[in-house]
Amino acid sequence: MTASPRSDANAAPLRHLLDSGRLIVCVGPGGVGKTTTSAAVGLRAAMAGRKTIVMTIDPARRLANSLGLDDLTNDPQQIDLSDALNLTGNEDHGGELWAMMLDSEKTFNDLVDRLAPDKGALKRAKENNIFRLLSSALHGMQEYMALEKLHDLYTGGYFDLVILDTPPTKNALEFLETPGRASTFFDERIIKWFLPNRKSGLLGRVFNPGSIVLGLISKVLGESFVNDLVEFFDTFHYLQETLQQRGELIEFILRDPLTHFFIITSADPRRIKEAVYFHEKLGQLEQQADFFIINRVIPRFHPEDIAAIEDTDLDALLREADHEASADRISGLRQRLETHYLQLARLAIRDREAIASLATKVGHEALRLIPLLGEDVHNLTHLLKLSDFITPLAPDARVATAKG
Amino acid sequence: MFDVAHCADVASLSLLFLARSARIFLTMLDPLLDKRLIFVTGKGGVGKSTVTAALGKALAARGKRTLVLETDTFSAMEDLYGYEGTGLEPVKLSETLYASNLMAEDCFVATLTRFVPGERVARAVINNRVARVFFKAAPSVNEVTILDQIRVFYEAEDQGKPRYDHIVVDLPASGHAVTFLNVPATMNGMMRGIGPIAKMTAQVSTIINDPKQTAIAAVCLPEEMPVNETIELASNLKSVLGRPLTLAIANMVHRAPLHDDDRPIFDALLARVRANAPGTSSLLFDEEPTDESDALARLVEGNALALGWHDRDQRYLGELRSRVDAPVIELPIFYETSGDDVVANVARQLGGDSSSLDHPLAI
Ligand SMILES: Nc1ncnc2c1ncn2[C@@H]1O[C@H](COP(=O)(O)OP(=O)(O)O)[C@@H](O)[C@H]1O
Ligand SMILES: Nc1ncnc2c1ncn2[C@@H]1O[C@H](COP(=O)(O)OP(=O)(O)O)[C@@H](O)[C@H]1O
Ligand SMILES: [Mg+2]
Ligand SMILES: [Mg+2]
Repeated sequence: MTASPRSDANAAPLRHLLDSGRLIVCVGPGGVGKTTTSAAVGLRAAMAGRKTIVMTIDPARRLANSLGLDDLTNDPQQIDLSDALNLTGNEDHGGELWAMMLDSEKTFNDLVDRLAPDKGALKRAKENNIFRLLSSALHGMQEYMALEKLHDLYTGGYFDLVILDTPPTKNALEFLETPGRASTFFDERIIKWFLPNRKSGLLGRVFNPGSIVLGLISKVLGESFVNDLVEFFDTFHYLQETLQQRGELIEFILRDPLTHFFIITSADPRRIKEAVYFHEKLGQLEQQADFFIINRVIPRFHPEDIAAIEDTDLDALLREADHEASADRISGLRQRLETHYLQLARLAIRDREAIASLATKVGHEALRLIPLLGEDVHNLTHLLKLSDFITPLAPDARVATAKG
Repeated sequence: MFDVAHCADVASLSLLFLARSARIFLTMLDPLLDKRLIFVTGKGGVGKSTVTAALGKALAARGKRTLVLETDTFSAMEDLYGYEGTGLEPVKLSETLYASNLMAEDCFVATLTRFVPGERVARAVINNRVARVFFKAAPSVNEVTILDQIRVFYEAEDQGKPRYDHIVVDLPASGHAVTFLNVPATMNGMMRGIGPIAKMTAQVSTIINDPKQTAIAAVCLPEEMPVNETIELASNLKSVLGRPLTLAIANMVHRAPLHDDDRPIFDALLARVRANAPGTSSLLFDEEPTDESDALARLVEGNALALGWHDRDQRYLGELRSRVDAPVIELPIFYETSGDDVVANVARQLGGDSSSLDHPLAI
């Protein structure tokens, strides 16, 4: 466990994983730098020679811009790596870095377009109220649309490695349990309830006196809503089989030995708790997290440093900067610097205690630390720094920027 | 109607009015004091739950019966308030403070039970596999039933008086607050206003869209993305819900380690330290026990880092102030090691307990 790019016993397994993996799923709580870290992981893999795509959910605009992407769209866009290679003095190993931002609504619409049997069906689909509700409420289905897109990227054959950023929700892993949740909505049993029965006609089936449930649904939701539902299932019948098949294929992909899970978290005790939850959840699903990347760790301020510094030494140094300054002003400034440093040191210790407690649960060798930098990670140089903390490129080719 | 308590309220209200017209805030809570329902929104990690918990504490400390709600998440309140949830029914934490984490499944059952004739029927629906699958997979059902449950608490009365003076809701971090809060209106449109659920969704959206009764407060960090999202949120609230953002709260604002006047001295010190030993800025990123002779360099580099955080914060605060269409308050970062100590400090800051104020009141 180290945040230093210099001494690195644990870097090799992670590097190996980036060199051989086909899919890396990044899960974790919100706001810990999950999207940024996913990009840094992708950058590292690309620089090592792999054709990598990072599928992000909500990238910071300035990060996208500084990677040369004016707008991240639902279609993969290639990021120019020449600057990164120049900065680090690495040779080009033929890798590529691509990025895209998931647009759930567009992905869903594309899916419907692609699978529609004919133009008429498509037109009817788009006018349907339920369809419109579905596509506007897709924020709840981000995971599923991510998988839909993943399916295309993975089976498309172009990319060596897909990195999947996931939404920061408690149910981010739900898709592992039911990869076909989108398809369960089109579950055959449900459709049977709604679809027109050839013999008794459309509404005859719906308001079948025997079906209490349906009667209730229409009572509660209103008849026109139920009519929309009937039409919806009628129109979208064609999606059912495909969604079912995809659900199965995605399940297969997620279980592939070349699929890996990274849990990204911060050292905040409550985020660590969430990380442990994800870890346990993966365990229940017979998966496991290969690495825990702990981001935004308060750098290591040592409280003992204050005792180690002679007040007179520091005062003398300060006075050199301003010979006019009064003794009071100098000692006041020294005290403020020391007080602030001590406060930060308390947080640094808290972070390390939380990390140590995680280590006892999942093992030191599974942890990677990235420190909280002095500024937002909004350009390639910063991103390279992050990559370097995750795993240095190769023992000899040290990234020059990591020291700056 | 006009009991003593109300007279007191009127008095404090007019005081408030005076304070406001003089453009002073008595406390940071002012914009929220007359709101019965307070939605707190923000990106994950910005301190949304901490601020929600502190708001709950500060309001309850004023003797207002306050209910703090979470919406089907890893409960932060159980940690911060130190209690264990037991379903929908709010847990009483003090004379005036209550809390509950609204699980979507429970809310669904509760909503359904309100709409079908009798519990037996409700159970029939809930136990029906097809219906279960349908509702679990159907979009927006969770949002609507959670918001409906909030409405029930909002309307609850004891002896003709509202059971809760304030309800503070920690909104989900993912997705967008506007989409979430607009779900009832969307659903209503889909149902063309017909049927009991449609009627309920109409009631819920009336409550949400009433800026007199309901506050929407956005917590953000003084960083690029959260600041931009808050600015966008304010304008989306206007265009989609037709209501303003009530308050923007910039949280975890870093203090400067030193006075502005002393900056030249510090800059010179930093330059000297770096000239003597290049590469000191990465000293802090070393996990291994390090050399005692580096102590001074670490002290200086640590403060330089903190100064960097402070400068960045001020830049984005300026951005937020000038571009967001809502009052802005700032909360400092408290260097506490436990989450509930942070909450206590934030609550004191919000409530205007001057003994802990180390930042001038904002605006
Ligand atoms: N190690 C770090 N040091 C400093 N800032 C960071 C670090 N990692 C991420 N950030 C910043 O944190 C913010 C949130 O990052 P983001 O990746 O969008 O988080 P998430 O996807 O988890 O919500 C961004 O402004 C990013 O630049
Ligand atoms: N004003 C503050 N000063 C210091 N720490 C804070 C402050 N506000 C929040 N925190 C800390 O930040 C972390 C994230 O806060 P939390 O309330 O869980 O965020 P959210 O609910 O937005 O994800 C917690 O460790 C919390 O203690
Ligand atoms: Mg993200
Ligand atoms: Mg929270």
